[in-house]
Amino acid sequence: MNTSASDDVSEPVNAEIEQPLLRVENLTKRFPGVVALDDVTMEVRPHEVVGLIGENGAGKSTLLNILSGLYAQDSGTLKVNGMQVTFKGPRDAAQAGIGMVHQEQSLINAVSVAENILLGIEAQSLTAGWYRWSSLNTRAQEQLDKIGSKISPTALVNTLTFAEKQMVEVAKALAVEEEYAGQPVIVLDEPTSVLESDDLETLFAEIDRLRKVASIVFVSHRLDEVLRVSDRVYVMKDGRCVAERDPKTVHIDDLYRLMVGKESSGQFYREDSQVAVRDAAPVLVTKGLTKEGCFVDVDLEVRPGEVLGIAGVQGSGREELSRVLFGADSYDAGQIWLSGKRKRFSSPFGAVRAGIGYVPIERRIEGVAQGMSVRENVLLADCRAVSRGPFLVPRLVNEMVHEWVSKLNIKTPNLDADVVNLSGGNQQKVILAKWLSSPRVKVLILDHPTRGLDVGAKEDVYSLIRELCERDMAIILLGDTLEEVISLSHRVVVMRDGSISASFEAAPGSKPMPVDLIKWMV
Amino acid sequence: MDGVTSMTEMTAMKSPDTTSRTWGSRLVAVLPLIVLVVLLAVVTMRQPSFLDIRSLQSLSISLAPILLLGIGQTFVVLTGGIDLSNAALTSLGTVLLAMWLPHFGFGAAVLMIGSLTFLGFLSGWVSATAQIPTFIVTLGAMGLWGGVGMVLTGASTVQIGDSYKAIAWVRDTLILQVPMPAVISVCLVFLVAALMSTLSSGRKFHAIGLAEQAVLMSGGSTFRLRCAAFALSGLFAGLAALVLTASQFSGAPHLADSLLLPVIAAIVVGGTAITGGSGGPIRTLVGASIVVVLRVGMNAVGVDTAYEQIVYGAVIILAVAVTIDRARIRVVK
Repeated sequence: MNTSASDDVSEPVNAEIEQPLLRVENLTKRFPGVVALDDVTMEVRPHEVVGLIGENGAGKSTLLNILSGLYAQDSGTLKVNGMQVTFKGPRDAAQAGIGMVHQEQSLINAVSVAENILLGIEAQSLTAGWYRWSSLNTRAQEQLDKIGSKISPTALVNTLTFAEKQMVEVAKALAVEEEYAGQPVIVLDEPTSVLESDDLETLFAEIDRLRKVASIVFVSHRLDEVLRVSDRVYVMKDGRCVAERDPKTVHIDDLYRLMVGKESSGQFYREDSQVAVRDAAPVLVTKGLTKEGCFVDVDLEVRPGEVLGIAGVQGSGREELSRVLFGADSYDAGQIWLSGKRKRFSSPFGAVRAGIGYVPIERRIEGVAQGMSVRENVLLADCRAVSRGPFLVPRLVNEMVHEWVSKLNIKTPNLDADVVNLSGGNQQKVILAKWLSSPRVKVLILDHPTRGLDVGAKEDVYSLIRELCERDMAIILLGDTLEEVISLSHRVVVMRDGSISASFEAAPGSKPMPVDLIKWMV
Repeated sequence: MDGVTSMTEMTAMKSPDTTSRTWGSRLVAVLPLIVLVVLLAVVTMRQPSFLDIRSLQSLSISLAPILLLGIGQTFVVLTGGIDLSNAALTSLGTVLLAMWLPHFGFGAAVLMIGSLTFLGFLSGWVSATAQIPTFIVTLGAMGLWGGVGMVLTGASTVQIGDSYKAIAWVRDTLILQVPMPAVISVCLVFLVAALMSTLSSGRKFHAIGLAEQAVLMSGGSTFRLRCAAFALSGLFAGLAALVLTASQFSGAPHLADSLLLPVIAAIVVGGTAITGGSGGPIRTLVGASIVVVLRVGMNAVGVDTAYEQIVYGAVIILAVAVTIDRARIRVVK
């Protein structure tokens, strides 16, 4: 049934009595430097709720984007009701009966519920380009009735609560039925991540009702919720579908283990070369740092030579926190102390002068200056070391850039090459060289430094992080995966919903288990 | 390991792309020079007296203000903005200079250039602080400075009397048969170009034109750079005002306004990208030369001056269409 990881896949719960509504076979999708989906086979049967879980970067979003017609797969097939289909765009997906409820809500705020629900399929309610409101509202009401919602089709979307909007999205997704005779498949992408518990109950009730008219794919990283509503659960890891489980029999810890992986990866992360932190005064301290709507009351301490990992799911506030520490965003309350002095940065300008470097997640926009050479990119942050007065000394510049290019093993034809022509890994190394060549950088914030890098480049970055610790750099790390954070860090703090929920020592040899951390993340 | 192979494939695929891009940028650098040479040849064939010393001197005198304004405008265009007000600011400068000369002598020129630098800075400061697109701020400023000039003069020309002596040398001095304004402006081109390549902050204007976010996230002050670009635009507008006042014996509230189009034409014809990031003063020198030869050449072959602005307008659109870096625009979007 599932070809990608035969040993882990138990027999399907429900042997093939019915034709699957939707089936993907051997789906593969590559992006430059990564295989986002690797030979994935899954199916959705009629009136079934299928849970789909996996860490960030496991391939969930790529799969959903293929299902909704946004991406085309490199190989493999999509089958709807046993018929092979090709989606050229979201419209084709809708016509094949696949409705998406996106993670970020995609309703138009200033218009009515009915207009939103029928957006794109309003044709039969139009007369010479004018809405026939009665027809529009009746058709929207039909969709809302399917999920038993009390929302009025004439209400303006911006007067609804978040949960109500989610219901409208579901109704909108269900409207694919209008164009498709069979039973639709509704994909809910992280529908619970922003809901309060009351709203959660409503959503679960709606899902139960929805089951009568449709099949549902429920994507989430909150395992308890997935187990509660799903009939079957697929686990994804590193672009593969690694397991299919029955929620009635599986234990939640097994799912954690499947999600995170079980092989020891200490070698990969250079754990053996991790050096214990010296007993020194912390270089960066935050006290009660708060940014409304993002994070609250965050107390952190990083010492020279220490890697402080911050773990958390999307929406935990850790990305915002890292930007605030660099002065790229403002904060509302609390204090930041650097080397014993209170600082308030209004922009990265001040933070960089005070000795903070930042490797952003948006590498191509915020990291490298596209259109400028490797040399110019390395000089971008601080070129005082190779200047005499206000003038650059070309000899010193070339020596310094050459030194970093060879030290970090940056593959570039020459120093004048446009950085845009380098591979992702080499671009990332150029960004690292930019900070490391500055003698004043004491604290380095790494926001997903290995995202999208191939294995070799990842290893280079890991080795470099180890080396930096020996040189007393303080590092704040937001990793791509939990393993990465745990293995590289001396200490890991876990953030959940904007505050620190737990803190773990992660000295070499006594690393916490990913499972322990996940409990505090979700 | 699949990731590694696909990475190698990608680098392999990218290399022809690299060559074509450098080819394209080389062409943009060389094409204006070719155009200039061809233009010179055509005009000289039609009118051999074009290469006479007197004719070249008058050519260089009309080159100077366009070139000076062009250098200033180049800073702003490199950052990805545009300064529509710098010709109007120059007009205001001629008014201020004509009014102040009787009182302060040559000190009036210094004072006027200082004031224009500050007014230029104001445009930059407003657009950087309020985050308004530069073309809006400077469109407003263009009307504003023109109006201020009108109010100061009562909408008339300010004649300079005896005090003209203080600035007469600007027009009358010849260095190796070359008029002073041309010497000053061409020297400034090379000075600015040299500073841009040797100062540690010399390429910062290019940098924010290419990748403002990356500069910001590397601790660069894009705010200061924007203000500086506009202040420099004001400074060069002041120098242009000095040259114009000296050659016209007067100041007037709309004296330099018609230079706006030829100046922008000079920049884009020279090959500086209107979207920012690539180009520089030497390209502007080539572009300004093309524009001036075109102007004098059209005169020489008997084209009505009424057609001049039509040509500049068309040339701007054509030059941008040729020089715009579509590859980069696609990425930035």
